[in-house]
Amino acid sequence: MESESKRKKESPNTAELAVTASFPDEVLEIVLSLLTSHRDRSSVSLVCKDWYRAERWSRTQVFIGNCYSVSPEILTRRFPNIRSVTLKGKPRFSDFNLVPPNWGADIHAWLVAFAAKYPFLEELRLKRMAVSDESLEFLASNFPNFKLLSLLSCDGFSTDGLAAIATHCKNLTELDIQENGIEDSSGSWLSCFPESFTSLEVLNFANLTSEVNTDALERLVSRCKSLKVLKVNKSISLEQLQRLLVRAPQLEELGTGSFLQDLTARPYADLESAFNNCKNIHTLSGLWEAVPLYLPALYNSCANLTFLNLSYTALQSGEFAKLVVHCPRLRRLWVLDTVEDKGLEAVGSNCPLLEELRVFPADPFDEEIIHGVTEEGFVAVSFGCRRLHYVLYFCRQMTNAAVATIVQNCPNFTHFRLCIMTPGLPDYLTNEPMDEAFGAVVKTCSKLQRLSVSGLLTDLTFEYIGKYAKNLETLSVAFAGRSDRGMQCVLEGCPKLRKLEIRDCPFGNEALLSGLEKYESMRSLWMSACNVTMNACRRLAKQMPRLNVEVMKEDGSDDSQADKVYIYRTVAGPRRDAPPSVLTL
Amino acid sequence: MELQLGLALPNHNNPSAGNGVGFKSRKDAANKRSFQEAFGNYKIRDELQMMPLLLWSGPPDEEDDDRKGQKKRNSCNNINKNEEEGEELVVGWPPIQSWRKKSLLHGQHPQQGQVGRRVSKFVKVKMEGVGIARKINLSLYNSFETLANSLIHMFATYQKSEKRGVRYTLTYQDKEGDWLIAGDVPWQTFIESVQRLEILRCGAVESRP
Repeated sequence: MESESKRKKESPNTAELAVTASFPDEVLEIVLSLLTSHRDRSSVSLVCKDWYRAERWSRTQVFIGNCYSVSPEILTRRFPNIRSVTLKGKPRFSDFNLVPPNWGADIHAWLVAFAAKYPFLEELRLKRMAVSDESLEFLASNFPNFKLLSLLSCDGFSTDGLAAIATHCKNLTELDIQENGIEDSSGSWLSCFPESFTSLEVLNFANLTSEVNTDALERLVSRCKSLKVLKVNKSISLEQLQRLLVRAPQLEELGTGSFLQDLTARPYADLESAFNNCKNIHTLSGLWEAVPLYLPALYNSCANLTFLNLSYTALQSGEFAKLVVHCPRLRRLWVLDTVEDKGLEAVGSNCPLLEELRVFPADPFDEEIIHGVTEEGFVAVSFGCRRLHYVLYFCRQMTNAAVATIVQNCPNFTHFRLCIMTPGLPDYLTNEPMDEAFGAVVKTCSKLQRLSVSGLLTDLTFEYIGKYAKNLETLSVAFAGRSDRGMQCVLEGCPKLRKLEIRDCPFGNEALLSGLEKYESMRSLWMSACNVTMNACRRLAKQMPRLNVEVMKEDGSDDSQADKVYIYRTVAGPRRDAPPSVLTL
Repeated sequence: MELQLGLALPNHNNPSAGNGVGFKSRKDAANKRSFQEAFGNYKIRDELQMMPLLLWSGPPDEEDDDRKGQKKRNSCNNINKNEEEGEELVVGWPPIQSWRKKSLLHGQHPQQGQVGRRVSKFVKVKMEGVGIARKINLSLYNSFETLANSLIHMFATYQKSEKRGVRYTLTYQDKEGDWLIAGDVPWQTFIESVQRLEILRCGAVESRP
């Protein structure tokens, strides 16, 4: 690190001058290096030039919420010493197939820049980026200190890319392949870890499908004594799991394989004993096709569980209730709605420490079978779990009164994501819009950061949001609102708004253009299937040069309509890698 | 019970009508019907454009955002309940990530001991006069009713420019290459032999070879 000469400041206050002159940059850098929060660092860099300089030299981790808001060149120029990069790419609605396939967010250009400027890069966390096998091979070969790779919701790569990582990254501590659009051709990548390789601490391949070589896996687990997190895929049987557990009693997070196997008495006892022997497990997931018969093997392990993810297994209310009785320390719970309201009542009764609940639908597209959870389950949880602050809840019916009760019981919501699955559904008891429900949420939960609304909603919901949701950062809206006024209320009222995503709402040009200045203080705006025209988007683009205004055209739609609009602030100018279906205005 | 299959909007002036689709079931024997009988008195209704449900599958009407009050919405929701079986009719809704959807489809169905696996049967669906064909997975349906509901929804956007009073028939090509009217044979037989579907305007059926 070169030391830079101190600059004398032009300051009328000589005492102040003396203080700044006597504070060496090196000390400042050491102090600042203790700061880890990105926001703190941003604030620090704005204080004065010296601090800006010291901050940029001392920063080792960078978080980029939108990969197009900055370019690799600008990034590497400003921060010379980065070891850890987190990059997010596509708009969130790409998870739901609303973004065309070759939209962009390719990691490769970044990797090339990093190879030149950050050869000592250690960590890469990517979300919604396009990652090719070629990029993974490049990564594996160009960064000798590389330790951590985490891929979430990425696509474009196959298990060949993983093989390259396993083969070449001698210092790898973490390989976290979370849910991705990966082409899973074979499990042989796992066998590519050399026999001399022992540094692994985190291995997550739960969402891959191919069989891996279980001998290779066993040997890997045996020799990696620091392994804390192991999440295997469905191809691993219960017997194989038992053998792995026996070799890794130090595990803290476990994702099981398939929980469906015919176990006779002896292997079952072995399994139970293997679980009992892992005294440090606090996170449990996987459990594919869990047959209730074998769940008791987990009961002792559940005593210390803080996070239980059952979202891949369709447990019924009875068997789930029996399991949850053993989980008194649970703080986070993800389940399928097959557990029904009764299952959630059991949660309310047994998990007083619960902070986060996510209920996913087992049959999201099947309306004919009446099942799943209702407002009752949610209410039951709220009575028993007063610390609840994060909820994602998919249901088929809801009432305003229920939501009012829920937030009265749990006023500390930071994340309230309610998805009433039929678009535009009113309160099923009163037939009124669900405005008052979300009104209650924003009035009561002053710490609310993230809100997803659903059901029949008029502009009143958005008036409430604009008026009360002063800490709101992310808002997702679908099939809601009556007029431009709704969106305008939000744009005018929510000072901390960073991400606004809207689909299928009657918001048009007036609403879009009312947020001109606002968009520069936000990360991004998504509007699809609304009433926005190309001309309005052009006007916006013209008036706000620091925003990228991108329109994704659908086949066969009206030329004057802007079907999908994605607007984001950037210092990198318009992007050059957009496919033909994406127009930058 | 023989089913007559037409393609028509739900009759939401009468929301208490048993099914939203508006087709009648007939107890006739399985003899050939003229296509007049095949779909009865169904028209594409005016309200089609105004129904928020159908606006969701394409760009909404600019002229009229007025949702026409609660009543229409309620009947929409009844209709919605019947239509959305098995297949995602509105792209990206409910908002479930693709990998989660995949794992649900391949996962276990909570039936006794059975690990339910659906064998997909994708067939192309064309609508006369529409350039773009669609593909649907027939294994997600279990009756002509649900299939018709789904198709109505899927192709509703293309009917905006049609004159009032246009009627449609659902036809399919079987394994032998013959074009038949859907609904004449039991569902299971249909599923086994259907190769592709086509929605024809009235009058067009007669001219098929």
